[in-house]
Parts: sequence; structure tokens; C-alpha cells
Amino acid sequence: MSVSISPLRIGVDIGGTFTDFVIYDPGRGTLETFKLLSTPSQPAQAVLLGLNQIVDQYHGEVQEGRQLPAITLVHGSTVATNALLERKGARTALVTTRGFRDVLQIGRQNRPSLYDWFSDPLPPLVPEELRFEVDERVAHSGAVIQALQVDELEVLVARLQAEKTNSVAVCLLFSFLNPQHEQLIAKRLAAAGLPVSLSSEIIPEYREYERTSTTVINAYVSPVLGDYLSQLEHDLVEHATAIRLQVMQSNGGIIHPGEARRKGVHCILSGPAGGVIGCQYAACAALSAAQESNGDTAGSTLRLLTFDMGGTSTDVSLIDGQPQVTSEALVGGYPIRIPLLDIHTIGAGGGSIARLDAGGALRVGPHSAGADPGPACYGRGNLPTVTDANLALGRLDSQAFLGGKMPLDVERALEALATLGMDAIQAALGIVQVANAHMERALRVISVERGHDPRRFTLLSFGGAGGLHAADLARSLGMKQVLAPPLASTLSAFGMLAANVVKDTIQTVMLSAKTPLAEIEARLLPLEEQLRQEVLAEGIPAASVLVERFLDLRYQGQSYELTAPFSVQVLDDFHQLHSQIYGYSRPEEAVEIVNLRLRVTGLVTPPPLPSQPWQGSDPSAACLGQRLVHFAAGALPALFYQGELLLPGNQIAGPAVILRSDTTLLLAPQDQAQVDRFGNLWIQVGK
Amino acid sequence: MTDYDPIQLEIYKHLFAAVAEEMGTVLRKASYSPNIKERRDYSCALFDTQGRMIAQAAHIPVHLGSMPLSVHAAVEHFSRQELLPGDAILLNDPYQGGTHLPDITLVTPVFLTEGDATPRLFGFSASRAHHADVGAWAPGSMPVAREIYQEGLIIPPVKLFREGDLNQDLFDLILANVRTPQERAGDLWAQVAANQRGSARLIELAQRYGAQAINSAMQQLLSYTERLTRHLLLSLPDGKYSFADCLDDDGVGQQAVPLCVSIIIVGDMASVDFSGSAPQQRGSVNAVYAITLSAVYYVFRSLLGLDVPNNAGCLAPIEVIAPAGSVVNALPPAPVAGGNVETSQRIVDVLLGALAQAYPEKIPAASQGTMNNVIIGGYDAQRQRPFTYYETIGGGTGAHHNGHGAPAVHSHMTNTLNTPVEALEFAYPLRVERQEVRRGSGGAGKWRGGDGMRRDIRLLVDCQVSLLSDRRKFAPYGLDGGSAATVGENVLIRQGEETILPGKTTLELLAGDVLSIRTPGGGGYGKME
Repeated sequence: MSVSISPLRIGVDIGGTFTDFVIYDPGRGTLETFKLLSTPSQPAQAVLLGLNQIVDQYHGEVQEGRQLPAITLVHGSTVATNALLERKGARTALVTTRGFRDVLQIGRQNRPSLYDWFSDPLPPLVPEELRFEVDERVAHSGAVIQALQVDELEVLVARLQAEKTNSVAVCLLFSFLNPQHEQLIAKRLAAAGLPVSLSSEIIPEYREYERTSTTVINAYVSPVLGDYLSQLEHDLVEHATAIRLQVMQSNGGIIHPGEARRKGVHCILSGPAGGVIGCQYAACAALSAAQESNGDTAGSTLRLLTFDMGGTSTDVSLIDGQPQVTSEALVGGYPIRIPLLDIHTIGAGGGSIARLDAGGALRVGPHSAGADPGPACYGRGNLPTVTDANLALGRLDSQAFLGGKMPLDVERALEALATLGMDAIQAALGIVQVANAHMERALRVISVERGHDPRRFTLLSFGGAGGLHAADLARSLGMKQVLAPPLASTLSAFGMLAANVVKDTIQTVMLSAKTPLAEIEARLLPLEEQLRQEVLAEGIPAASVLVERFLDLRYQGQSYELTAPFSVQVLDDFHQLHSQIYGYSRPEEAVEIVNLRLRVTGLVTPPPLPSQPWQGSDPSAACLGQRLVHFAAGALPALFYQGELLLPGNQIAGPAVILRSDTTLLLAPQDQAQVDRFGNLWIQVGK
Repeated sequence: MTDYDPIQLEIYKHLFAAVAEEMGTVLRKASYSPNIKERRDYSCALFDTQGRMIAQAAHIPVHLGSMPLSVHAAVEHFSRQELLPGDAILLNDPYQGGTHLPDITLVTPVFLTEGDATPRLFGFSASRAHHADVGAWAPGSMPVAREIYQEGLIIPPVKLFREGDLNQDLFDLILANVRTPQERAGDLWAQVAANQRGSARLIELAQRYGAQAINSAMQQLLSYTERLTRHLLLSLPDGKYSFADCLDDDGVGQQAVPLCVSIIIVGDMASVDFSGSAPQQRGSVNAVYAITLSAVYYVFRSLLGLDVPNNAGCLAPIEVIAPAGSVVNALPPAPVAGGNVETSQRIVDVLLGALAQAYPEKIPAASQGTMNNVIIGGYDAQRQRPFTYYETIGGGTGAHHNGHGAPAVHSHMTNTLNTPVEALEFAYPLRVERQEVRRGSGGAGKWRGGDGMRRDIRLLVDCQVSLLSDRRKFAPYGLDGGSAATVGENVLIRQGEETILPGKTTLELLAGDVLSIRTPGGGGYGKME
């Protein structure tokens, strides 16, 4: 009597404060969200708790004879990140070529801060006594100069066991050209029951320090992530339904737990990656709705700057059709060279503290009041923050903060601002301006510095503190519109459901660009086949597999590369790209192919977004009243609206404030906004 | 006190700093040589119409005080009337705005057109990059030399671009005088791209905020940094603090080269006097005035703390006296290659030694005090091209009142990255056999100095090698009872046999030889308990 029903898809994002759930039921076409407090010491607890709630909800129906649907749980977590940042990873050893055990310690021999004589050097993740050398050497041609003596490995294994290591990273020079020696070591260590991370598998790319660092991080975090996933899987078995677990990676794609266990480094920063994917999906839908209503059917490229301002930090990223990917990330000071979504983080947020320095400049951050004591208006601290400034300016509703759960103390905010020695309102306006200057600089780094003109982009604001700053920031950058989706605070969890299965690989080859295309293709094919099999193994139908091939190219003699799609015109594309980013190209010069790069994507059907029918332009049903709000030009009466009551088609003219349960949005006098059928707020930014 | 707006000050600080940093990103990514891309031996800065530095991205301290002198030289050489939109001035002459010959600076005047008015000068963007070869009698252009003419091609301020047009003859002349012309051309183009970016951004700022506002912001930021420096000086006890130390030798003779400094602090002003330092030397350890200024700037800039704009205001309340014809203010035609990379470090050492008496808790023990310059050149038969490899090698940093020094890292006047072993072997006929921390080389003490480093390089073809290093005789000092560090060593390993090489030398080595550079540690701090 049971009927086959589609599995529930649940996206879970474990953050520092909240664990967010987004549940999509394809059978009913419903999309729901809720939040639970996180359980930092046992992050899985909140996940299980949430899952129980969901299962309970279906339970009543099960008793009526319906079957509990199977569940696919897509999961982004900070487990790997925290293991790295809090240095609570596995006891990891490193095996290197003789003479190079200190590569990890020496790094690139530069100091992180030019003018600081007192900074402590970054401690290597593998201490000196756990770094081992083996006699072997491969040349830059890939030829073996000194062969590895396999019998020497017995001593190595004995020492690794004596040291009670429970994870081993192996990184030998030039192993990306010839992995034989690394593979021999892996075979011997695996036989001894030691988990091994090989640099030639994790990141077969040249530059030994960055490769070693990436491989060591993998060895360091994978066992911790693996234990966590095993525990979670074990606990999930207790539920009376089939649950399939998937894990979000930092490249914006998902993988199954078996692979996450081996390649934990791919899961660092998975939460923020979910946010970017969520933005991309929400904006895609919003854009198509906007085109429909304009009668515009020509698809235009999605160009977004995403802006996620929280209490202590702000994340920004750029989407030009696709989210931008980088392989130059630093996490906790350690380089990671696998492709990650290019998310730039700065230490400025709602809790950033303002002060006057010895030279008389108004500084905002980098110190933050955090959650405790928090901004002065929370009632415990005395130092003025960005949030206090916004409250003093009348831009926050003291009774409606966090949906009214936390009343704010305006008097206390004004007192804190007065300590800056100027008029409290002037100080507040200044703090907001300076905070905006920080954030504008971050947005410029990811756009103008990388050859993109922000004026062609839409600013997508999500995260709790961003809505008060977004329109002003867009104005400063010459951007015409801001998009504020209704899912703002659960966008990361939502992104988990919208994410595809994505596999990236890279292989350093150092070939002349004159190499025949057929030869390059012959090198790409086996890599591609391997990734394709991996994607199929995730349950993706063959028709939904997308393969993208790229080459990393440079003029012979340069030492940074640009990535261009592999095609017959790849050289022309490279010259053009070089010109776009650096202002010149040299088509007459020899070009080198440094790396082959592959991305194989398994397309997942994302949940459809709930939409409502179009209503009139009059927003007055959502209006809460009028109050004074301070702007640079003076105090102006502004209408306040309840965001959840606004309906598709409603139009709002600035000055206005829109209160949502998780964020507040500000329209300056010259700004105009309209709600679309998904509940997105589109702000047209005035001059 | 001058009139300023605390809010505008902070906002403009970000705006200008972002421009300088963006120029640096362009230069790094668009350049050719590992020396710029991998090692990041370059700097970018913005200047006001009077040539005062407004913002410099935090790249290489030795360029700090010296970039403004390049702009001054460019403006002095071509009168303001001769500077036109689209011009770009190239120079490397240490006696006219440069530091040492491999550092080539490009200065671009920025013009603003408002309405129909004729374009008027609005400021300068400038970039400086260390080019791996600019001629000279040995590859890498930092050989043991007696005159600057032996150190390479001298470029006085000349227009590389005239009103937007490349001066091809000049470009060809430069490339004809260097060993790796393709690489030089690529790096110069990258500098052009960086300056263009800087100029474009400065013009955008003027269009967005108004030229008047930008001009006034520049002046406000200069006084802001000046106020911070005065505030710092007020916090130091008034008095006269003197210190002396030595360079091992000048690379030609064997005599030690003493450096002396007396710092007098009165209220919110200071005078830094290098009188008593050795006269200029026959070898290349001579520093031009720009270098000495940079070292002074670096020390006070570091005392100011993090996140302070790098601009000319920092030195405004500080007088720097360096007698002409001395090793800290050399006159032509003294060779100067080592002044930039070695003497600059010793100048910092004597400044810190003096200031430690005024403010012991703010001053660390001596760091390695050298950059360990290694230059290897020759003909690469396999790749069929000449090559020049330049590297500087990190060492220990000094311990301080509250912590150990750092091992195997660059200190003070440089912060260049190492060339990855795999990048190096892809590019040159060399093989690195060892790169490790030189354990035990840091000075003992309550807090230990950082250890130095050892890098062993096997030559796969016959090569010409120049070494320019110091602290091979006189060790980096400890403070407050901490021990001095172990001195560095340059060693030739030929068929298994070790020979000690001088600190500064140029010599022919054979295929199969191993060059082993062992760098000094940092000094210890406090008595061992």
C-alpha cells in the first residue's frame, strides 16, 4: 500500500549562534524554515533535535497510514573550520623529501605584519618531532633522481606508531609530476592502518609550501570531520527512515560523507559557501521574475556583489554568472590551495567599536563588542558601536529588534556616543560613514581590483546587520540597485539545497601553449573520466553531468596564471583576459600551460521558491507609523513598515525603514523600493 | 591644532590606502619575474602635487623613505612645465632619486581635466620594483664593485612615455644593456599598468569627491600622521641615546665599517644624527641618503603601531643628519648595491640599540641584520637562454621583553618571499638540496632569539655567483642580558669538501658545486634564569 514518494530535502547550516533548517518537500511542493540554538560542544545535537521536530511533524500523518518519506540531509558545518582555527585536529605527522622537513615552518619566509616586532610566529600544524624525511628525489622533469628505498619505510612506520600519530600527510618535491614515491609510501602506511593524505591527490600543483600546507590541513581536519560524520550517521540510524547525508564543500558543491572524510580540507568554509550559493539561486529567481514583469525575455547575466554583514565580521563575494573561485585562500593564516568560493572577510560588523585615536581620527573596529558585552544598547557594555550609532539615528526600532525579543536601550547608546567628544548624532553619522568606508573597500577588493566594474552589478544584502548600510554602499559604488531576499538569515541553509555536486581537480603540466590540442585533450580525458565516475557515484543521472575544462596560462616567464576555458580559441581568450585584468597583453610572446583544471558538476534540481500573486502598489497595510530618522541632511520623518506584511507589487519611497524579524532595511530619501512575487525587496538607489 | 574632521580623515585614509594596494596587486600579478611575483620585491605609492607621499601599500620598508625622493628627482629634473599628461618618468640612479641600480622606479604625473580648462597636475603615482638584472659585470647586478659604473646601467630621470607614446629608442637601449631583456620588458610593462591604475583611481576620487576635497584630505592626512608621531615622541623620555655597531667589511678590504647614531629626543621632536659613522667605502656597502631616511622612517613607523597611514607626515617632526661622503650618505661614484640591502639593516640595528635605552620594553634584540643576497647567473644550455637568479634568505629575529624571536623569516627592511623550490627548479639549472631551520643559532636568554636558516643549492651548470651578506663576523646583539646570536656562514661544498666563503664576494663556480648559505639567528632578551 505504500506509494513511492520523493525524499524530503533538508538543508542544515550550523552557525556559531543558530543552527538553521530549510525543509523542502517535493511531494507537497512546500518550503519551510526554522532555527534552533546551536550546541557548540556537540554540534550534531542541534541537528538531531531539528530532525526530530521534522519527523514528529510527519509522524501524525504516518499513523494515518502514510509512509514517512526518506530524507536527504545536506549539511554545512564548521567542524573542519573549528578543528583548524582552534587547533583541535588530529595528531598529524608529515613525511617530506630529505632536507625539507622545515618547509612547513619556513613557509615563504615573510612576516605577516610589516611593522610589528612582537607578533608570535604562526605555529606549524605539525610540530618538529612529527616531521619526518625520506631519502628520495624527483626532478622538475618528473624523472627520478634518487629512488625511494621501500625497506626504509619500516623504520618510518615504527616511528609514526611510536609517536601515536593518527593521521599522516605526505608531500614530496615534484610529486605532482610523478606521484610514484608518494603512492609507495601511502601503500605501506595504509597497510599499517594509518590514514594518509597525499599531496599528489589532494592538490597536484607546484609550489611546495602551499601544497604541503593544504595537504597537512587535510590530514589535520579529516579525522575530526570523519568522527563527527560517523557519529551523526550513527545517530541518524535511530530514526525510522532512510537518511542520506551530503556535505557542503567550500567550492559551493556537495559531496557524500565518504569523500568528505578523506578530503576534509574541501569542507572548510562550507557555511559561507552555502550563503553564496543561496544568494545566487535566490537572485536568479528574482531576476527572472523581474524580467517577466518587464516583458523582457532576453536572459541577462547574473551580476551580484553579495554582502553579508554580521555582528563581528562582514563577508563579501562576487557572482558574475557564476560565483568566483579562488585558490589563494588563507584560513587562520594557513594557505589552502584548493578551489574555494572567493569570499573576502573583514573584521567590521554591527558590534565594531568606535573610538578617537591619538591623531584625532574616528576609528571603527577592528575590536568588536561581540555578543558579550555587546553594543552599549544591549544594556551591558559602555563602548559605542555601529549598532548604537544606527539606534541613535532612529534607524532601528528599539522594541522590534530580533522580532522584539531584545529591547534596546537608546539612552545608553547616546551616552556611549557622547564619550567620543562630539555631538552624539554627528558621532553616529560618522561611525556609520566610517563603517561604510571599510565595507566599500572590501567590495572594491573583490570587484574593481579584479577587473569588474561594480556599476554593472546588483548589491545583494543578507545577514542581520547589512540592510541598514546596503543602499548607501551601493550609492558610493555607483551601483543602481539592491536586492534583499526574504530568506536573508537562512540563506546559507537554503544554499545547501540549491547546491550542485561539484568536483574540481587540477594538474600541473608546464607545457608550451603550442602543444597540439589533441595532446592536451588526451591528458584531460583520464582526469575527466575519474571525476565523472565520482559524480555518478553521488546518484546523479548521466544526463545531468556537466564537464568544464580550463587551462591555467601565463606568458613564459611570468609566475602567476590566468584561467581560461579550454577551446580552440583559448590563446585569444587568454590575451584578452590579460588585457582586461592588467591593462595589456603581448600576443607575440610565448605562452605556457601551467595547469589543467577540471570541474565536473552534477546538476541538482533546486526547490522552487514560494511565490505570491501580484497585489497593488499601496503598502499602507504594512505601515507601522512614522518616526524621525537622522540622515546627513538632517532629521526627516520616515515611514516604518513591517516587512513580513508587505505584498508583491507594493512600492515604498524613501525615507523609510522596513523591519523584518531578522534584519532592518533603510531607504534614504532618494531611494525607491518594490516587492516582487517572491517577497524580495528591490531597492532602486537614488543619486 | 589644525582644523580637521575626524570622520573625513578616516574615510580618506581608506580611500588612498586602497588605491596604493590595488596598484600593488596589479604589479604583482602582471609582472614577469619570480623576483616580483613570487618574492614581491616592489612598492607602490601615491603623492600630492608637491611630491609628498600620501599613501604607500605595506610592501617593502626599504622603499618607504626613498620613494618620495624619486618623485622629487623626477620633478626637479623636468620642471613642472615639462611634465605633460601621458608622461611617465623612469629612473634608477641612486644619486638622483634611486637607491641601488636594480630598483627601477616609474613615476607618473597625474593630471586632472575639469571642464574645458587645460589639464593640471594633481599628484603622482609611482611604483618601484627590484629588477633581477640591470647589466653590471656579473649577473644580478650586485657584484663586488669599486664604482657604481660596475654595478649596471644607470638611468637618470628620463621620460619612458611622452604624452602617452612609448619612447621606443630608450626602451631598446635599456633592454640592450640587461641580461634578461624579455623579463625586464614584462616587468616594466607591469609597472606601467600599476601606475595607470593608480592614476585612474586618483582621478576617479577627484571626480567623485571634488579635487578641492581630495587635496585638502591629502593635507589633513599628512598632519594626522605627524600628530601621531609627535604623540609618540612625547611619550619617550627626553634625552640623548647613542649606539654603535659595525658592518663586517666592505667586500673589498677586511676592515670593519662602524656605524654610529645619537638620537636626541626633546618633547615632541627628535634629531637622529649619524655623525661619527665611517666614511664612504671602496666596496658597495655605501648607502645613499634615501636609504638612511628609509631606515629611520621604518623604525619610527613601527613604533607608531599598526594601521597608521604610510605618509610623509611620519618624518616631519624628525631631523635626520647624515654627513655627506659617509657610508650613510655616499657621494658619486661610490658603488651602492649593498647599501640598500645590507647597510640599511645595520642602520636599523643602531637605531634600535639607541632607542632600547629610552624604551626597553618597546625594542627587540637585534634580528639577523642582513638579507643574505645570493645571485647566481650563467647560461642554461638546456633551456637555451641566459639566466639570473636572485634570492634573499631569512634568518632569526630578535627576542623581546615578552617573547621569543621568530625563526627563518625576513626582518626589518625587507619582507620578500622566498622562491618556491619547485618554481626555482622549473626556471633555472639549479637544484635545492636542503632548506631548513639552522637550529641553535638564535641567541640564548630568558627569551630566545629566532634561529637562522640553511639553504643548500647545487649548481647544474658552471655559474657566476655573487654573495652580498653581513653578520659573518659581528653577531646580532642581545638585550638586557640576553646573548648574541650565532653569525652566518657562506660555505662552498665541492666534492664533499667544505670551504668557507667571504660574506661579500663574486666568484666562478662549477657544475656540481653546492652553495650552502647559513644565516644568522636573532639576539636573545633577558638573562637566562
